[in-house]
Amino acid sequence: MSLRVLNPNAEVLNKSAALHMNINAAKGLQDVLKTNLGPKGTIKMLVGGAGDIKLTKDGNTLLKEMQIQNPTAIMIARTAVAQDETSGDGTTSTVLFIGELMKQSERYIDEGMHPRVLVDGFEIAKRATLEFLEKFKTPVVMGDTPDKEILKMVARTTLRTKLYEGLADQLTDIVVNGVLCIRKPDEPIDLFMVEIMHMRHKFDVDTRLVEGLVLDHGSRHPDMKRRAENCYILTCNVSLEYEKSEINAGFFYSNAEQREKMVAAERHQVDERVKKIIELKNKVCSGNDNNFVVINQKGIDPPSLDLLARAGIIALRRAKRRNMERLVLACGGEAVNSVDDLTEDCLGWAGLVYEHILGEEKYTFVENVKNPRSCTILIKGPNDHTIAQIKDAVRDGLRSVKNTLEDEAVVLGAGAFEVAARQHLVSNIKKTVQGRAQLGVEAFADALLVVPKTLAENSGLDTQDVIIALTGEHDRGNIVGLNHHTGEPIDPQMEGIFDNYSVKRQIINSGPVIASQLLLVDEVIRAGRNMRKPT
Amino acid sequence: MRELVTIQVGTFANYVGSHFWNFQDELLGLTEVPDGDPIYKNSSLDMDVLYRAGETQQGIPTYCPRLISISFQGSLGSLSLSGSLFDDISSSDPTDILTWQGLLTNETGNVSRCMAEPHKKNLFLQSLSAEEHEILDVSEDDSGEVMCSSQRQVQDKDRIECLETDVKFWTDFSKVQYHPRSLYELHSSWMDIQKFEDYGIGKDVLSGGLQLEEMNERLRFFIEECDHIQGIQFVVDDSGGFSSVASEVLENIEDEYTNTPVLLYAVRDPGAYTYATNQKSSIGRSLHDAVSFSRLSSFCNLMIPVGLPSLRCTQVCGWSYVSLFFLILNQGGLSPLLHVDDKKPFHSSAVYAASIHSISIPFRMEMPGPAANSTCTSGAMDVGEIVHTLAGQSRQNMVTVLDVAMPPPSLTDEHNQGSILRNLHPLTPEIRKDDDDLLAVESLVVHGALYSGDHRATVSQVEDSVRVAYQTAPAKPMFSRLSVTLCPLPIPLPFPSIFGRNVGRHGELVFNSVQGAQSRGSLEIVSIPMAARLRSSTAIVPFVEKRLGDLRKHGIARGGASAELLHTWGFGRDEVEDMGEHLSKLLMAFDPHSQTTSDSD
Repeated sequence: MSLRVLNPNAEVLNKSAALHMNINAAKGLQDVLKTNLGPKGTIKMLVGGAGDIKLTKDGNTLLKEMQIQNPTAIMIARTAVAQDETSGDGTTSTVLFIGELMKQSERYIDEGMHPRVLVDGFEIAKRATLEFLEKFKTPVVMGDTPDKEILKMVARTTLRTKLYEGLADQLTDIVVNGVLCIRKPDEPIDLFMVEIMHMRHKFDVDTRLVEGLVLDHGSRHPDMKRRAENCYILTCNVSLEYEKSEINAGFFYSNAEQREKMVAAERHQVDERVKKIIELKNKVCSGNDNNFVVINQKGIDPPSLDLLARAGIIALRRAKRRNMERLVLACGGEAVNSVDDLTEDCLGWAGLVYEHILGEEKYTFVENVKNPRSCTILIKGPNDHTIAQIKDAVRDGLRSVKNTLEDEAVVLGAGAFEVAARQHLVSNIKKTVQGRAQLGVEAFADALLVVPKTLAENSGLDTQDVIIALTGEHDRGNIVGLNHHTGEPIDPQMEGIFDNYSVKRQIINSGPVIASQLLLVDEVIRAGRNMRKPT
Repeated sequence: MRELVTIQVGTFANYVGSHFWNFQDELLGLTEVPDGDPIYKNSSLDMDVLYRAGETQQGIPTYCPRLISISFQGSLGSLSLSGSLFDDISSSDPTDILTWQGLLTNETGNVSRCMAEPHKKNLFLQSLSAEEHEILDVSEDDSGEVMCSSQRQVQDKDRIECLETDVKFWTDFSKVQYHPRSLYELHSSWMDIQKFEDYGIGKDVLSGGLQLEEMNERLRFFIEECDHIQGIQFVVDDSGGFSSVASEVLENIEDEYTNTPVLLYAVRDPGAYTYATNQKSSIGRSLHDAVSFSRLSSFCNLMIPVGLPSLRCTQVCGWSYVSLFFLILNQGGLSPLLHVDDKKPFHSSAVYAASIHSISIPFRMEMPGPAANSTCTSGAMDVGEIVHTLAGQSRQNMVTVLDVAMPPPSLTDEHNQGSILRNLHPLTPEIRKDDDDLLAVESLVVHGALYSGDHRATVSQVEDSVRVAYQTAPAKPMFSRLSVTLCPLPIPLPFPSIFGRNVGRHGELVFNSVQGAQSRGSLEIVSIPMAARLRSSTAIVPFVEKRLGDLRKHGIARGGASAELLHTWGFGRDEVEDMGEHLSKLLMAFDPHSQTTSDSD
């Protein structure tokens, strides 16, 4: 061991031990997440040291919550989370796929095969699978009016794996409508324009889509109206509070009188700004009973609030920066940075603005807007863990709809792709490969089956029966997926089970890369404790 | 009202914060005691500056710190993430899970439970929650109370004992109730806590997630409800990856709340000074220090580096002579009146928290109106003013030294300890001693000072005494401010026993007491006077110089071994050079030949 000479403190694992350590880590991680796949997967409840509860089925959330120590497992987990970041879903599948690739390889390696040969086979199989995916995918034409049904099916497929059916179906409409609302032709979809707001109130089924915006704060003056109809909305980023002029201005007063003067001058400037807003209000609201709402990103201090309240204006301060953008998209008008040239064109419009108070938390609803390009998904639930779970699911749902719109393609789900790809690899590709790399292709093909197998296992079905039924049906020339209720083959197209094309492609792409790297490891060295681990 | 929002980032910062809030809680409690010391009742310190009033969803009124605390996942110990106040942790019984109804129809095996080992509450926390229940039980007769109090006497000792020996989390000794939005855990799941040691790692943790946004949202929640925010008090543990977390948060603050001044305390555990074993990691360390100092200082208005490598006093610890290096760092030591165990963050953080508390006192005094002239306080100012005083005068230096006298001697000086000024010991590391800078600017806070014995001094007595002290001092600063209040620092129960046996019940110095090596704590001492000073002077120059030197040597110099390291932290060459420039600008403020200072000569 030459390294021992170089650094006596280093821990070294030799060839087969190193490989098995990696394989075991991959299998271990797979075991943890396996039970959570699919609509019949179980849910995990994480209880923290202080009794905090977290409930989840989402692989991504689980991986983030778990304190993973094993370096190999960390590597896999990072890949899986990267998967979530790029395509929004498929974390669990990635982990399962990597684990299964390692498991299949283990068989061959134990029989004396060199990992290099397997890895070559993986590479060939990966390319072939990606080509097959291109042929297998179902193109969807999006155009100006996307087919809502197909979007719903994709969203439903994702959501049903995270939540129970009733709630998932309800959320399906919400996320599809949400994404369609913010979609602009010929522009990438910015999901941040869908605000996700939560309230600890009522039940999960009260979750709804608000066409408009929900802000998590209210007005700070007792005399302002709590509910107003037909409102002009002024979105602005103007300081309406008295601040010390720049801290380093270098001006220092020497007596109380001077100080008073300075304060008065500052105050005067703020008042002028408020007056300009009031002028605009009087201009647009005179002679009708419309209302006027100011939503400001900067602060508004009590004297200014007072002035505004007396003029009958509702004012909210310190709005989120993102809400400035959202408000303009939802209500129209523009966000103004100065009150100097205020005109009616700057104003947006909302049919209804009202406040909802829960304890110390206030929510302001801006609803009934004319032509919303931004919206809010308002999640309700009786407790924090319910809300957190719905939130994770909604995020994934939104991503899946967005992916579909951008991919302009979907892939048949319920394991149909995996079964078809496997058959393709075994019957067509394997023959074209020379030598022992064939076995690599075979291992890859078998590993693909992990998805239908796990789906079957989680539904309490016999995996072998299911696989035989599926492959048999496939060989008869049909495209089939698994019905997790009965274990019978079904046509996913008929059932409306569709997965994202980009998610699948990402899984096929990244899984073998990590698996190959891990297989080619022949020594694991843990050097001095303080070394930063490679990222 | 001039609100102050507090942000604590990092493990040690939360230790400090925990003590800090314990002091506040104690002050609050003392004002409510019916037959308590009138000094607390009429302290004319406005607690609303630090606290916010709110209510729970059930309509129960609450009074919580206006605070955001950011720490590791799992570092809250037995405290629930949503705080203890809005307590509605439903049982971990799967039957109330609404999001997964499958289990109502199917077998209940659908939920797999992963339980972390529950953290046991220590004796102190147990007694806290027991007390809460007691308060709920209004039907408590007097006879029971007497028995209770005698029982408590015994127990208090045990509680203190258990804190002395066994504090694992900062929440272990916290008696404050936090708002559910106050506590934030950083999800850094795949991070060994020991390895969270440099700037780059913190950056990795934040990248790509929504965590930063979530933190900013919480800050916005607290700031939105402030009518006139006077500033942000920011405490960061800058010895590890948290300094990059903090600088990201600070960057947002600068962006979003441009005119809100930020007072930044960079605190450090003595344990963070364990010296690197090999060259590579020691370069990594010094680069981290340089980078984090440069980044943090560029986003705040006044920076106060706090954290000595050792809080022991040199006379006590002979072992430090072993190494010359230690000797240099140790020279100042801390007052011989304190016996701090460097190994316990519980101890050292208490000293820092007390000083931060003292510095924050003027922010809470009532602003001098045209007529009002309080007999309890003098020298109120807000954060903006202290920033202006220290950093905005002729010399634009924004890195200041924190000195503290804990406790200061009485004004009449019965024991020849010298004046308050002579008893101030710096808490800022790597500074120049014997600093006679004629352009120094200082702000001194004295509270609860004693005249002689355990008689309290009046505000004017303190003022006079300090004036005399300044006049007789060998080097006078160019400008100094003084804030005085009568209210001393109350010592709460969970305060470590760090006082020497020479400290009396009210913080007076007792020299003829019975010998006994035992250190004294909250059972023996109810309150102490405090003096703390922020000083903007050339004393800080070596601190900045060292960081600039390190950055130049390792980062900027061509072929520097660690350019690559900086690269993995996400800094390109240009950015490193910018940081170097920023640091040299900080140093330039002290250069007597530069433009700014020659004007004021």
